[in-house]
Amino acid sequence: MTTNTTGSTTGSQPLPELLPEHKKRITPKRPGDYVCWAIALAIVGGLVYTTVTNENYQWPVVFGYFTTESILDGLVLTLVLTVVSMGLGVLLGLVLAVMRMSHQAPISGLARLYVTFFRGTPVLVQLIFWFNIAALYPNVSIGIPFTDVSTPVDVNALMTPLTAAIVGLTLNEAAYMAEIIRGGFASVSRGQYEAADSLGMRGFTRLRHVIIPQTMPAVIPATGNQVIGMLKGTSLVSVLGVAELLNSAQSIYARTYQTIPLLIVASLWYLIMTMLLSVPQSMIERRFSRSTRRQAAVATATKESLL
Amino acid sequence: MKADGTIVARQLYKSFGHHEVLRGIDLSVSAGEISCIIGPSGSGKSTLLRCVNGLETVDRGVLRVNGEDFGYVESERAYHAVRPQRLAEQRARIGMVFQQFNLFPNMTAEGNVMSGPVLVKKIDRKVARERARELLAQVGLDGCGHKYPAQLSGGQQQRVAIARALAMDPSIMLFDEPTSALDPELVGEVLAVMRDLAHNGMTMLVVTHEMGFARDVADEVLFMDGGVAVERGDAREVLANPRERRTQEFLERVL
Repeated sequence: MTTNTTGSTTGSQPLPELLPEHKKRITPKRPGDYVCWAIALAIVGGLVYTTVTNENYQWPVVFGYFTTESILDGLVLTLVLTVVSMGLGVLLGLVLAVMRMSHQAPISGLARLYVTFFRGTPVLVQLIFWFNIAALYPNVSIGIPFTDVSTPVDVNALMTPLTAAIVGLTLNEAAYMAEIIRGGFASVSRGQYEAADSLGMRGFTRLRHVIIPQTMPAVIPATGNQVIGMLKGTSLVSVLGVAELLNSAQSIYARTYQTIPLLIVASLWYLIMTMLLSVPQSMIERRFSRSTRRQAAVATATKESLL
Repeated sequence: MKADGTIVARQLYKSFGHHEVLRGIDLSVSAGEISCIIGPSGSGKSTLLRCVNGLETVDRGVLRVNGEDFGYVESERAYHAVRPQRLAEQRARIGMVFQQFNLFPNMTAEGNVMSGPVLVKKIDRKVARERARELLAQVGLDGCGHKYPAQLSGGQQQRVAIARALAMDPSIMLFDEPTSALDPELVGEVLAVMRDLAHNGMTMLVVTHEMGFARDVADEVLFMDGGVAVERGDAREVLANPRERRTQEFLERVL
């Protein structure tokens, strides 16, 4: 028989002996834990109760309109606006970020001016501005400078609500993406540029194969946030009369006066889309997060090298 | 070319702002020679090395690498900076190994070694891959080609970095304190690769604190302090019987 080092189990019903090194360690629940749960449940319960019992929510109306054609059309347009504006915004943002890093002071100054301007004014104001740009430049000639080749363009006809929406959202997004991408460039150490230089690599090759891939861990997660922000931001273009999701909901409640239910319809769709987007986003974030770089490397080790 | 693998510097001057880092340095490395630069930190030895492949520009003086003016063309009155394309060509013939390895973390070991030949010399990927495998084997990393830098030890990373520089078939190899960022037990494997290179006749200019390596491998040692070459001569001679006070003091401290 082994020695019971605690020497405590000598009662009438001897318990099986447990060596100290095998004993579980127990942290007792504290009163605070139960209080937190109680508060959280009370809040959620209250919210559920009021949403179910308050008739003003008009849930039957919500579900009635949830998949109406005009709402679904609006949904599609919202997605199109998001994808197009985001795509163009990223491209322009990359150009601006590269310009911003230029050693040529005028080039980087231009990029800085752009970012200051488009980040410093509200996107809603920018959208209305682009829609009314014809007041500033009624006619523009597109052509080759110093030649007779040119086509006059009627700006008023060109700047439909949809073009104004895409132009406004893109130009605004580009300013933010430029800053994000610039941050990505800043996260790449000087030694990487020097290593590429010492191999005789030049500007574009160095950027494309060495620097840009390394900006991804810093750029991708932030871009994911921007996509979600853009998705919701498209609701602003409803003021231009573009029939996206919010505008579609508005045009229904303008007729029926069922304001709240239709705003709920729109909100639910926004919520669903952002939740769907956050799934790939969190996956990408895990893949690119700095602390797990080693695992990320293992994950791609099976793939052909990026080179 | 006869002048391949040679470095000649005369009266090199370099300032960062008001701080003069190089104050009239002379340097001469002939083909196949191993030259070590030693000296206290801040003496300008890394700057000198970095000037040789254009990571720093020279303010004044003569710098001829592989028998031609480096980064500049001489005219009657001045040196004129060459175009970036020409500078890149000159750089491609000089291998550089950094203290912090500076491997590309987005590429595998093999990808790193292939990067120069494929992206700069536009060599066929298959050929480049074959050569990369040979080079990795040469630095003792057979079978590590698929690994990413983050999966390799410091010593292994530095050997990949050496292979990457060798892949460009340089006529000169520059080493900027190649073992200073390594754990002590990993220093040996990197030095062994460098010894190998030296025996195969590569021209090498090495900034180092490894006095043992300098004594065993180097032909010439340059002791720098305060941006000037204090003492220069046969490696074993300088390390064993330094003539200058400052060299003596430095060697007493590090040995």
